[in-house]
Amino acid sequence: MNVIANEAFRFYTSSLLVEITGKNAHHLKEFVRILKEIDESSIFYHVHNAFREYSFAPGKYSNDFARWVAEDVEESALAEKLSSIYVRDFTNIEDIRKRLIEIVENHLNSATEIRKAPEGREFHFLRSIAIVSPTEYEAMTLSEFVVALKRVGMRSLYFHFFEAHLRLGRKTNDFSNWLRFSLDNPQMADEIEALDPYFMTMDQLRDRIIDICQGSTESKLVKVVVKIPQEITHDIATFGKRIFRWLFRWLYD
Amino acid sequence: MTKENIFKLKVSLADYATVIRPQNFEEIMMLGRQLSGKTVKMVNSTYAGGGVAEMLHRVVPLFNELGLKVKWEIIKGNNDFFNATKAFHNALHGKKVEITDRMFQTFEEITMENCQALSFDEDIIVIHDPQPAGLIRMKDRSPGKWVWRCHIDTAHPDMRVWNFLEKYVSQYDASIFSAPGFAKELPIPQYLIYPAIDPFAEKNRELTTYEINSVMRKLSIPQDKPIVTQVSRFDYLKDPIGVFETYKLVKKHFDCRFIYAGGSASDDPEGNQVLNELKERADGEKDFHILLLPPFSDFEINALQRASTIVLQKSLREGFGLTVTEALWKGKPVVAGAVGGIPLQIINNFTGILIHSVEGAAYQIQYLLNNPKVAKRLGEYGREHVREKFLLTRNLRNYLLLFIALGSPGQSLIELPK
Repeated sequence: MNVIANEAFRFYTSSLLVEITGKNAHHLKEFVRILKEIDESSIFYHVHNAFREYSFAPGKYSNDFARWVAEDVEESALAEKLSSIYVRDFTNIEDIRKRLIEIVENHLNSATEIRKAPEGREFHFLRSIAIVSPTEYEAMTLSEFVVALKRVGMRSLYFHFFEAHLRLGRKTNDFSNWLRFSLDNPQMADEIEALDPYFMTMDQLRDRIIDICQGSTESKLVKVVVKIPQEITHDIATFGKRIFRWLFRWLYD
Repeated sequence: MTKENIFKLKVSLADYATVIRPQNFEEIMMLGRQLSGKTVKMVNSTYAGGGVAEMLHRVVPLFNELGLKVKWEIIKGNNDFFNATKAFHNALHGKKVEITDRMFQTFEEITMENCQALSFDEDIIVIHDPQPAGLIRMKDRSPGKWVWRCHIDTAHPDMRVWNFLEKYVSQYDASIFSAPGFAKELPIPQYLIYPAIDPFAEKNRELTTYEINSVMRKLSIPQDKPIVTQVSRFDYLKDPIGVFETYKLVKKHFDCRFIYAGGSASDDPEGNQVLNELKERADGEKDFHILLLPPFSDFEINALQRASTIVLQKSLREGFGLTVTEALWKGKPVVAGAVGGIPLQIINNFTGILIHSVEGAAYQIQYLLNNPKVAKRLGEYGREHVREKFLLTRNLRNYLLLFIALGSPGQSLIELPK
């Protein structure tokens, strides 16, 4: 817990100001046409919005597109396919865009009718301006990291965990990155990387990361505690056997 | 100073810290530090009456507490001007009203008078709603950034009025709308800031059981069975007849009471007609209560919502639907029409239930009456949803973010210094 990192981990937070693009889709053909030309920041917003906002419980749909298709266009199968897009599988927005277009176009190719969303329920493409700022929290050791993680807001957690892979261009997150390269703890970095944040709330995600950070040191302690008696037992047993054999030989001789 | 104003002044940032998540509070404080010393002027048309004035009464002191220097001023006008702007307001809402050339002339004349009377030396000028929108004429003589905040549902405006207004609005540096569907094609950035409710307002503050019971006694509504309430104007678009039809369907299978509570309709001929029709239909139904509440009945509305088992909002058309926000904040399961801003607040089967018909409303109400655990969970999630997105503090935060973004036009990523 008290190994000092090569570099401090500074917690940042990002806030979004939402901008209305003025582009609206009334049906899926229009939707896919806009999807092809809309800013990356709009796609980024709509695939992340659900995770940012509904922190108190995991939502039914993983992105805004799936929710619109399910609830307003009422194409359940397509909504399920769109909802199955794992943002963590992608390291850039263009690939997410291609996948979305591919799914919708495949649906349109086999669709017998193009359903229209009811009036007032069209899809409004939004985009966001991200305002990133450093928080007051910084960690040089694992214990400081855990203390800070308990205190930072969910937008900070989101910034370091969800957005990082798009920023870093790799399937990782800022926490694992720091643990691996600054604290030389690849095992813990791997455990955190393996977490699937898409089926838990932000609070649950935070707890799991803290558990890994604390649990790993605790499990090491447990291992040590468990290891020591095993070694002692083994040594005692070995020593006992030796004494027994020595006594046996002495009596026998 | 009225009691209400004294109450308003007493609420400070520290009070909101007891309601919102600590991280959100810290974020507001951090953004406030970034903007400390920034001068802002808010301009609207009145200090009293209406949701905008109510909101400004609350947020201006909070901005100042955060370290910004925010002034609030109003424009002045004669009766002709305010009659014209009232007509514009209704026309922008999509109502059919007579708009004359003289109204446009009056608007421009009074705008010029206000331009001469007011000064605009601040870093940021926020103009609320159409009445003072023409003040943008002063932009060339002002060093600040200009923002037009539209609080109106402009989804279906009278285009003659909108086109007149647009020539002013398009000169601003940015605009703010309350829902994506209200925005228009404009050459300036359009930001989205949802309307919000104040958890400390008389309509939303926590009430004791004694207070709730006393209101129910005063209104002669027994609390002997589950209560389903809709709070709305007596307006066909709020579907009061549909509420009564829903009651009839539910009542066949579940013994309950329905309340339709609306404001006074004395100056609204259509409102009176709707009220009379509803009374006629519900004649003899002892468990369907029609309440005609006088103005300033916020306390009573609060108690009615809190005494309800389910809150209904069976609107056929809706603006943002702040009555839904209020009910969600009170932890009530809400069954509401999927219109206007309601789907922004109700994620179906998650923070409430969306319906499209009388039959749908009746079925879902029966379902919730028979499944109180589901109803409780919807209410809890609904409250958390409002806590995150539709409280006044979220509004405050969004304004702070906008003020920061105005300093970096065109950037999608803004990094703030430590």
